[in-house]
Amino acid sequence: MSEAPELLPVGFRDRLAPAAERGAGIEASVLAVLASHGYERVDPPLAETESALVARSAAAVRTDHLRFTDPISQRTLALRTDMTTQIGRIAATRLSDAPRPMRLCYAGQVLRLRSSQLRPERQLTQIGAEIIGSDEIAAAREIVGLAIEALQAAGVTGITVDFTLPDLVDRLAETRYPLDADTLTAVKAELDSKDAGGLAALGAHDYLPLIAAAGPYHEALAKLEAQDAGGALASRLEALRAIAKPIADDIRLTLDPTERHGFEYQSWFGFTLYADGHVASLGRGGTYTLAHANGSEEPATGFSLYPDALADVLPAAAVQRLFLPMGHDMDIAAQLRADGWRTVAALSDTDDAATLGCTHWLNGSEPLAI
Amino acid sequence: MDRPIIFAIPKGRILDEALPVMKAAGIEPEPGFFDKSNRALEFATNRDDVRLIRVRAFDVATFVAHGAAQIGIVGSDVIEEFGYSELYAPVDLGIGQCRLSVAEPKDADPAEALSALSHVRVATKYPALARRWFAAKGVQAELVKLNGAMELAPALGLSRRIVDLVSTGKTLKENGLVETETIMDISARLIVNRAAFKMMSGTLPALVERFREIAGASREAA
Repeated sequence: MSEAPELLPVGFRDRLAPAAERGAGIEASVLAVLASHGYERVDPPLAETESALVARSAAAVRTDHLRFTDPISQRTLALRTDMTTQIGRIAATRLSDAPRPMRLCYAGQVLRLRSSQLRPERQLTQIGAEIIGSDEIAAAREIVGLAIEALQAAGVTGITVDFTLPDLVDRLAETRYPLDADTLTAVKAELDSKDAGGLAALGAHDYLPLIAAAGPYHEALAKLEAQDAGGALASRLEALRAIAKPIADDIRLTLDPTERHGFEYQSWFGFTLYADGHVASLGRGGTYTLAHANGSEEPATGFSLYPDALADVLPAAAVQRLFLPMGHDMDIAAQLRADGWRTVAALSDTDDAATLGCTHWLNGSEPLAI
Repeated sequence: MDRPIIFAIPKGRILDEALPVMKAAGIEPEPGFFDKSNRALEFATNRDDVRLIRVRAFDVATFVAHGAAQIGIVGSDVIEEFGYSELYAPVDLGIGQCRLSVAEPKDADPAEALSALSHVRVATKYPALARRWFAAKGVQAELVKLNGAMELAPALGLSRRIVDLVSTGKTLKENGLVETETIMDISARLIVNRAAFKMMSGTLPALVERFREIAGASREAA
């Protein structure tokens, strides 16, 4: 009896053709859009000292990283779970004196310690762009527009952008509807799952309308405005309007004022990107604060895409593969490759064009369909 | 929107109470749904854009969390057990009310009271919920996952305690058990897939709103 073949660890997979090539193509298209808007590529390392990775991320907890001891320095190293924190480190250290606003983009693999039933994969591609030095409306508008353009360049259609106001509840708790710290945490958890029953049980009836105020952008905004009698949110709502204004009609907009899922470190504005045919979100972004070593803080705005799912579902471009029989004319073959053909040269007389996935074969100087 | 809304509803306990609520919200299943001999799992409704699936309560949450169904009705016990981050529970429908409780034999030895133990063995359908609850009390719980007939466990020596749903307490009593502590009160909730709620913003939020009105009205009437 033979042994069972060794499987990959849970959450890891081999990506084969054509998804592997498509994935690389999507990454290139997205990066080209980012570069065309003046975002400069940076490429931080896969692993850093654990303390550096954890220090700059409010969201990541120590146990989220895959860790090991570096035999050279004897320090604990960790594999990155998120590249945004690395961009933050770069901006706060070696590029701290670079002129602001600074536009940076990046693409790479990140690793998560745990997989879940809903998100089984542990290795993800992350592509993103950050504006360091501004979290104003203009920066948010640029980032949202850029994220949409990037997705479109990757071939995504049926895009939905869901806006949120990550610090809304904190703000309301400070001003209009005071809550003590413990209740605030519980209220946030219930708002997270939009649990109207749980919210009522906490006695936080003032916050119930926020659950109802989630939905299509215009209606949701109107509901939020109607509720904002004291005007505490007026500036936020005005800003949302300014951000949404230039977005084209074929993009669906929704507003969910209390969505915090994935917005643990965002400040006043956040958004999530969804697309038809994808159950999970494709990316998210927003404004946040970057901490410098000297204790000062700097505003920033950015977004990240997780495009792996795209490579699996987007239709494959029809690829024409041309079989080159033994003894073919190499100059003709080179010319055909320059014309865009993909050639597969025979290595022996027994090679078969159809078996090797070719659509055409070279008859003298003429490609013929098989 | 060409894709229909898939509405997942649970077999069993909640179903009978859920149907009138759904009817009030304008969703009525095709006649085949009520035919006991019908083995179909998916049903049409009076609305072209809504289809029903009838699955086990735990699977309602899983279908909706994965986005295979967009909306569903399920008890808050199931929602809490899974803790799926992709689920919204926007409306408390106020039906299917019961509670999740700890029960033990009524002639239990006081030396084995919960406060005196650091380790217990518990049979339950809700291992995650039960583990969390016992952990919060500083008790190491060894959970035995059962899918039904929890009440048998203490008598047959599988575990001293059980964690199970209690509505009237009759089943417990018949099996010589008493309820010692309530873990949580339960009612049926409308649940919605997070991404679907955003992407089907033309239809789903309106449907949720309709259920919210109905639940609000029945609460006021009560």
